[in-house]
Amino acid sequence: MSRIILEVHVLQNVPPSNLNRDDTGTPKSAVYGGVTRARVSSQAWKRATRRYFTKLLDAGELGVRTKRVAEVLAERITARAPAVVGPAAWEIAAEVLQAATGSKVEPPKRKADSAKKKGAEEPAPESSYLMFLSSRQLDGLAELAVQGAADIKGFLKDKDNKARAKRIADTRHSVDIALFGRMVADSPDINVDAATQVAHALSVHQVSNESDYFTAVDDRNSGAEPGAGMIGTVDFNSATLYRYAAVDVDLLERNLGKGLDAEESPTTPVRRAVEAFVEGFVASLPTGKINTFGNHTLPDAVVVTLRSSRPVSFVSAFEKPVVADEFGGHMETACARLADYIPEIERAYGDESTDTWLLRIGPATQKVSGLGTEVPSLKRLVDVAGAAVADRLERRG
Amino acid sequence: MSVLALQLAGPLQSWGSTARFARRTTENAPTKSGVIGLLAAAQGLERDADLSDLAALRFGVRVDQQGTRTRDFQTAHHAETDDAMPISERYYLSDAVFVAAVQGEGGLIAELYDAVRAPRFLPYLGRRSCPPSRPVELGVHADADLEDVLRDEPWRAAAWHQRRRRQEATVELQVITEPGRSGDGGGSPGDTLRDQPLSFDPRHRRYALRTLRRATVRVANPHGRPVHTHTADQRHGAPAHDPTSVLEGA
Repeated sequence: MSRIILEVHVLQNVPPSNLNRDDTGTPKSAVYGGVTRARVSSQAWKRATRRYFTKLLDAGELGVRTKRVAEVLAERITARAPAVVGPAAWEIAAEVLQAATGSKVEPPKRKADSAKKKGAEEPAPESSYLMFLSSRQLDGLAELAVQGAADIKGFLKDKDNKARAKRIADTRHSVDIALFGRMVADSPDINVDAATQVAHALSVHQVSNESDYFTAVDDRNSGAEPGAGMIGTVDFNSATLYRYAAVDVDLLERNLGKGLDAEESPTTPVRRAVEAFVEGFVASLPTGKINTFGNHTLPDAVVVTLRSSRPVSFVSAFEKPVVADEFGGHMETACARLADYIPEIERAYGDESTDTWLLRIGPATQKVSGLGTEVPSLKRLVDVAGAAVADRLERRG
Repeated sequence: MSVLALQLAGPLQSWGSTARFARRTTENAPTKSGVIGLLAAAQGLERDADLSDLAALRFGVRVDQQGTRTRDFQTAHHAETDDAMPISERYYLSDAVFVAAVQGEGGLIAELYDAVRAPRFLPYLGRRSCPPSRPVELGVHADADLEDVLRDEPWRAAAWHQRRRRQEATVELQVITEPGRSGDGGGSPGDTLRDQPLSFDPRHRRYALRTLRRATVRVANPHGRPVHTHTADQRHGAPAHDPTSVLEGA
């Protein structure tokens, strides 16, 4: 059976910025090809992508990742059974979540102790780590909770009801859970393996971090105390980044299931998720220090590839660091590198049924224009990639 | 017995053997559990699948380009309150290249070779965010021995790295293998590492101790150039660099 793997390759200029910093406040870096590169960690860009989804998808298609799951579920219980409110709803929610995920959901000890001392009410129960549940899973659990609300403990002692709770947490995953995965340490059988692989973004050239020394003057400064109100430094760099991600469409289909609606095509959920990912990954930007640097940029070149054997990262094209020419700039050389590298690696290792699309801007990216079918806009790119994925899924049946 | 040779190259790799909780370290070379995991994932085995066939493969690795260690400091924030969650440290090897090899029965080795060329799960070098930057498979050697393959495989370091050592026509590379099942010669069984996979089941991941044998092999440097005599003279004739000597008597 042939595989369906989609890759997104991005070249993006980022002016002075600090998208993703370490504990000393310095932009992250890594050595590649013997020289230091700017690096933006995969988790930083995955979070940016996930936040971007809220612009693209209904809340019902997304998940909530929070420790305060009991409160979230309790709200839905109350919406269905208005008599069940406040701490009573929290308790029912906590019991149902415990049955569904195997994880303890109880008031955090420190908060509970301090509330007791002050004579305040017991705080809401929380899970001990971030729990990721889709909106549809929360709805399902709320339905179940309402059914057993009269005697929730007794209700969940029933084996079938407990199994139902587990099954609800294990089906109808949201788009973001299906793409980025879910780990429930106490109940590995409801874990979801992420269908995407996002690499750390690396600059195509050598980078050394710079430090901006700043002073800020107090507006109400008096003559008695001249001088700055505060001083400090902000580290930053500028980079032309190569970003890479792969989507395992087969796994995505297993995670999401086929369309449940009679009116929609069975491939619709996967197609929507792929489209959301391509758009979100291309257009999102981690928000680190963005108000300091205003580094809102979009990619100059995007290559999307659909394959049937294995994913291929093109980072090797930049192992030899790109050097700015006498007129400066890295984008043009970076594009020339890709234009040379991609046909060679495809010839040597690629599979026969590779489709490639291309979105590019400006003369600096001219060299990549021959690599695939050019599309005029991100919207169009998302569209054709989604349609091609759906088409391959349908042909495979 | 056949041997499957693999190259593990990428900007970042991370091979943990004892990593737990907030501090995720990496060994200096790929672990057996990591590489067996890569092969199992390529075959599409689920995490709770029986691993005994794969775990029984004899494993060895050659350090072609050592790389440097990179520490990644990671924070996470609560989705709603935006409170900081526990921070974690992850360690990676940057810019490293390894040749790994597994030895076993011919049929299984052939299956694994096909699997890495069309992997069922996306491949990564120890951690999901570390995709390989070159094709992983190097080839199958029928009726071969692990040590011979690790000795004969060309040097896979990057060209810039090879050029940096251009004055050496051959280079010495570290090879880490496990003792042969027959106990051939024995050598000096060195240290041990808990990276012999027993189960990847997330409910109870289990690893056993494995003995490591370290040796070195010499491989040709494709960028090696003969050293000109006069430059050698210059090098040997250069005065010792001792900046503190000028401070004497100060």
